[in-house]
Amino acid sequence: MDAAKRYNRQTILPEIGEEGQYKLSKAKVLVVGAGGLAAAILPYLASAGVGEIGIIDHDVIEISNLQRQVIYKTSAVGKAKVQEAKLMISELNPLVKVNVFAEKLSRKNAVSLFENYDIIVDATDNISIKYIINDACLVTNKPMVYGSIFRFQGQVSVFNYQNGPTYRCIYPDQNNNALNCEDAGVIGISVGIIGMFQANEVLKMILGIGEVLSGKILVYNILNNEQQKYDFDKSDFHLLNKETFDEKYNKSEVEEINFESILDEINNDEVLFLDVRNNDELPKIDLKNQIQIPLVNLENEIEKLDKNQVIYIFCQSGIRSKIAVESLQRHQFKDVKSIVGGVLAMKQLLKKEISV
Amino acid sequence: MIEVKYFGAIAERTKCEFEKMSFSELSLQKLLQDLNEKYQFESLTFSIAINQKIVSKTTNYTLQTSDVVALLPPFAGG
Repeated sequence: MDAAKRYNRQTILPEIGEEGQYKLSKAKVLVVGAGGLAAAILPYLASAGVGEIGIIDHDVIEISNLQRQVIYKTSAVGKAKVQEAKLMISELNPLVKVNVFAEKLSRKNAVSLFENYDIIVDATDNISIKYIINDACLVTNKPMVYGSIFRFQGQVSVFNYQNGPTYRCIYPDQNNNALNCEDAGVIGISVGIIGMFQANEVLKMILGIGEVLSGKILVYNILNNEQQKYDFDKSDFHLLNKETFDEKYNKSEVEEINFESILDEINNDEVLFLDVRNNDELPKIDLKNQIQIPLVNLENEIEKLDKNQVIYIFCQSGIRSKIAVESLQRHQFKDVKSIVGGVLAMKQLLKKEISV
Repeated sequence: MIEVKYFGAIAERTKCEFEKMSFSELSLQKLLQDLNEKYQFESLTFSIAINQKIVSKTTNYTLQTSDVVALLPPFAGG
């Protein structure tokens, strides 16, 4: 039959054989994100004969994606990534069933989607989604194949594999401003290599061969080819079930606001503007009813703030301020919002205001 | 000698990928404090490994000659 010929070179490997091929054909893998990592992961999972592949991504193809997202063609710029990825797979291997979701993974759809798959692959470029994937994998008891890039370095690990440690066991809280590829820059080869490591972990789990990268994080540097593995333990502080997941994510809906819409409140004594940048960060901003508490000190100095006051929080670009809002919401603050775009956006508007 | 390795955004801040420090004994807390003064890591998130094993940031550990410490920030690209 066609399939036997198609997979012959891998089924003659004693580690795979007919039995391994059968396991592959029965496997269901969800790839979250259809960017650079997925461009390496998808064709290799499909060509190896993984039976069912889900892809979720809400983006369309942009010309600046093509230097690393090598499964997309120049003529497809402007089209939905998931549709093009599906087309690529159906041409590569029509035996694979492909399910696509042209939407963003969120706290609302993650759990119900993950339930239909055996393995979840994190091919995203955004830290807050990584926490959602991690937490939803915990709730649904699925392994998460993590991959991520910073310029010429990459990290790979498998979380929650047979109740093993999770992303939160290395990075407990979402409290950072790690740059993604758009901001930091990236070349295609580094995402390709890391995506390939991820695809490899997926196949090993399905086939039950080798040693899964669980409880270890691999860090690879393509400039000097140094590769290190770091061990980490499971921490029981981060267990979640369906109820605690819903509770956690329903509470922490961060409200954002444009500075423009609150410009007339800058002299209002009823509201407070909270700067969560460090003391040495520029440009300075000088509003009448403003105080500064760096994000790292916020939890310790929380008594300086009034839980019933309207508080507008800002930082340099609007990322740390969202974390600050979550933190204050956990302490039952009633009305806190994060200013979109941070000081950089505020300065522009203030300048305009003055020149008028 | 104690070696400290830097990765990702941390290495961008330190402008080097590793440093060797000529202590024979030094507490992890003191090392972190010194590095923080030198590089102002406060706004960056990272986890810490000693000899390839990730440990809690508050671990009480006295670094010995030939120990290797690594500062591992999360990456976000993909």
